[in-house]
Amino acid sequence: MQKKMTGEQFTVPIGPQHPALKEPAHFSITVDGEIVTNAFVRLGYAHRGIEKAAEERNWVQTQYLLERICGICSHIHSTAYCLGVEKLAGIEASPRAQAIRVLVAELERIHSHLLWLGVAAHEAGFDTLFMYSWRDRESVMDILEGLSGNRVNYSANLLGGVKCDIDSAQDEAIRKGLEFLKERLKHYLDIVTSDALFLLRTRGIGVMTRNQAEVLGAVGPTARASNVAREIRVEAPYSMYMEIPPIIILETNGDLEARFVVRIKEMIESCRLINEILDYLPPGELTVRVPRRIKPAETIMRVEAPRGELFYFIKSNGTDKPERVRVRTPTICNMTSVVKLAIGSQLADIPVILAGIDPCFSCNDRSVLVDRRGNKACIWTWEELRQYGIRYYYGDRT
Amino acid sequence: MDTQTALQTARLIVEDLSEKVESPETDRLDFYLKDKKNLVVAATGLRVQHLGYLAAITGLDPGAEQEALEVLYHFCTGYVTITLRVNVPKASPSIPTLTDIIPGAEPFERELSEMFGITVSGLRNPAHLYLPDDWAEGDYPLRKDFQLQVQPAQSQTKVN
Repeated sequence: MQKKMTGEQFTVPIGPQHPALKEPAHFSITVDGEIVTNAFVRLGYAHRGIEKAAEERNWVQTQYLLERICGICSHIHSTAYCLGVEKLAGIEASPRAQAIRVLVAELERIHSHLLWLGVAAHEAGFDTLFMYSWRDRESVMDILEGLSGNRVNYSANLLGGVKCDIDSAQDEAIRKGLEFLKERLKHYLDIVTSDALFLLRTRGIGVMTRNQAEVLGAVGPTARASNVAREIRVEAPYSMYMEIPPIIILETNGDLEARFVVRIKEMIESCRLINEILDYLPPGELTVRVPRRIKPAETIMRVEAPRGELFYFIKSNGTDKPERVRVRTPTICNMTSVVKLAIGSQLADIPVILAGIDPCFSCNDRSVLVDRRGNKACIWTWEELRQYGIRYYYGDRT
Repeated sequence: MDTQTALQTARLIVEDLSEKVESPETDRLDFYLKDKKNLVVAATGLRVQHLGYLAAITGLDPGAEQEALEVLYHFCTGYVTITLRVNVPKASPSIPTLTDIIPGAEPFERELSEMFGITVSGLRNPAHLYLPDDWAEGDYPLRKDFQLQVQPAQSQTKVN
């Protein structure tokens, strides 16, 4: 691994389209030989104008719209919105509804983190882990389907409560599913901290120091892997997290390995929370009435999405429609940090560094690689860049 | 830092720079800054005291008949949200950048600028972040008077 600077700079455009990942983004990466010297990001390929559209819809319609911001963490968006609107309307959902909200949110966290574990392992060339983690993810998807009837947009929330209840059969199915998952997660934790080849790709790669994470405003597991205690469920518990406090998971190294460890430990913690909620589940009604019109006011709702803090600013104007809904998703905070992290790292590490923040972004299909002597240019697909990364590290060993 | 200390510290830093202070919820303080020139000073103060991180920048258009836009800078720590509110006249909408003290402000400022037509002075990369490169100049989608130019639907070939 030679890290020699040649003084010549080339720009490698990565993105914006690829069907395999979640959303599109474009990165323009300047390299000197193997070393990344600058990086820019361009988003907006999946911008649907949801904030504007929310102004045209009534409170109930807006909830369904916002739930579709993200296909992975749909529930947390509607939770943030419902909690915010309930605060504006001066009502509170029943304890049972709150408990079920949190339960679905934790199931969603497990499914989101397992999905990430697979994607990140795949980017690092560890497809066995990818296949196994996605197989195991099916068990949590089955639980969610059994609970709500849907695998992704569960539509479990309503303004003023939830739609689905938990009976004893579901209780049993959830506990059984989680028992299996917990064993698997412990196994994965062991693998990501001990597999020698995998550690080549994660230990000491894409390091973000605690100070960087604070200054760049990183959130969620990305920040917690750099020992920044930013976790809304602990700092400012909402809904059921007052009664059932989660334990914050922190790591100090700030590298990719730490991000793997944080997310896997968070899943184990989520399993514990879900079991506690099931033990505790208070009786009561599922919904309360919410007025159709809401008096003029402003509120801020912050919740912990799988990828970090999700921020909602909601302003009402006395009608049945919101005046303004501002959504700040966690990825936009982490995107700034990843662009800074990319600088100084190896081009071969870019796919896995990008995957490391669990970007609800997108993919990077076509990249133009200019030969480092500057006399040859060829077009690479994302797959080729990924393969290049794997070859670069493992050589003939794979 | 507990909620009360944070709120008091924020008052000490920003109160003199604002014309009024409101507390819409128990853990929130909204400072209406006297002048946009105070923004960088206030944000630096909050930054130095580690009073939260810049969680978001929200633009507000109070209505097509109003002459000013409002920009909200939310700083969050624990339960506390401190909001700096700045009025920006629609006639000459501009605001200083915070990227010199908070690098993470860049995407928020780029979004604010393209969605509300507010010039962020000092921003190194003022290019579009979300909107297409060929988006019509002078069209700011989150302003209340924005009219969507609907393209006439292309006639579909009937399959028969």
